[in-house]
Amino acid sequence: MQITCTINGKIHRFDCAPETRVLDLVRDAGMTSVKAGCGEGECGACSLFVNGRLVNACLLLAPQIHDAEIVTLEGLQEETAAIRESFAEHGAVQCGFCTPGFVLRAYDYLSHGGERSEEAIRAALDGNLCRCTGYKKIVEAITKVKS
Amino acid sequence: MNYLRATNLGEVTALLEEYPEALLLCGSTDAALQLRHRPETATLIDIHALEELKGVSAEGDRMRIGTLVTLNELLYSDAVRESLPLLAACADTFGSHQIRNLATVGGNIANASPAADLTAALVALEASVTLASQDGERSVPLETLFCGYKCTKLDHELITAVTVPLQTGSWYYRKAGMRERLNIAKVSIALTHGSGGFRISGASLGPSPVRFRTLEALLDGGVYDDAAIKAALENDADPSGGYRSTKAYRLRVAFNMIKEALSQPEER
Repeated sequence: MQITCTINGKIHRFDCAPETRVLDLVRDAGMTSVKAGCGEGECGACSLFVNGRLVNACLLLAPQIHDAEIVTLEGLQEETAAIRESFAEHGAVQCGFCTPGFVLRAYDYLSHGGERSEEAIRAALDGNLCRCTGYKKIVEAITKVKS
Repeated sequence: MNYLRATNLGEVTALLEEYPEALLLCGSTDAALQLRHRPETATLIDIHALEELKGVSAEGDRMRIGTLVTLNELLYSDAVRESLPLLAACADTFGSHQIRNLATVGGNIANASPAADLTAALVALEASVTLASQDGERSVPLETLFCGYKCTKLDHELITAVTVPLQTGSWYYRKAGMRERLNIAKVSIALTHGSGGFRISGASLGPSPVRFRTLEALLDGGVYDDAAIKAALENDADPSGGYRSTKAYRLRVAFNMIKEALSQPEER
């Protein structure tokens, strides 16, 4: 089937099977910040925005993004600069695989006026797994993002 | 695979008549995984873009929730938080933020998982489902929709909406699982207590969500005795003993939750 969507403002056309995961489409289109992690919606490494909503690309099928506006971390470099800087400053990165997903979730959370308390931030990160940092530094980094 | 995109309700019901075994695609959180493991699934009817299946609206003393309303739309709806706090509490424990942005109310019901959080909560709230087919619409109590593990009585039909009586009286909702969040319920209990008496249901406590009627009658009669509550629970609940936990564990946790519900209910 034919799928047309915009990814980071640019129009993309795909000829694919309906059961194709959006995760595979966007990675094939060059957006490698979208990581293939668990493939079951558990880890959030494949997070991206579809029409302004943060979702798991591994749980989304190609037909669901027809005519949609997709935004990945590649398309939010300026908007996430302060968040990425804070992650670096607080050492909220080890292997880095989960980082794009965490940065997008932090951006989503903070841009919706999310509270900067540890409890609220930990709850907001319910869809993102990190197997290295123990989350402490990630939570600190998000708490201290300069606005 | 046969992929069909529907643009209005009439198209969906016509397609369901033609392909009764088709899988309806709404939020895709369950369908995407199902298709990966069973790509031979013959027909996919995509309904995710149907505007008429979206939105939450108050209708007198009931709330109408469209089948495509997402869990986050429920969680952040002022009307739901105000009039159906049990449902908002349930949505808050559902999946993760990213999953709640995709998963839909109708999808959670139609998937008919015994662990479905929302379905158990809706049963305790005495929700009805509106079903549409070529023959028109009908409304049935949600509780009567199920016929066992992952089984519904939907017959060439789709769920278009859920209607829920606005909450009155006190309530309780709690879910237990391996992790605090992004969890599949090992056990959950949803309870309301109003002028009509107790309404109790739970997830992962039977092959499909049901009302715990023996327990309701017992509590309505003012009997709060531990042994009697245990016996009533064992009569009403039939949890599986799967790899996620044993039957004995599920019954014990459900009992503890009922005791907690009686001693520390939330007031509406």
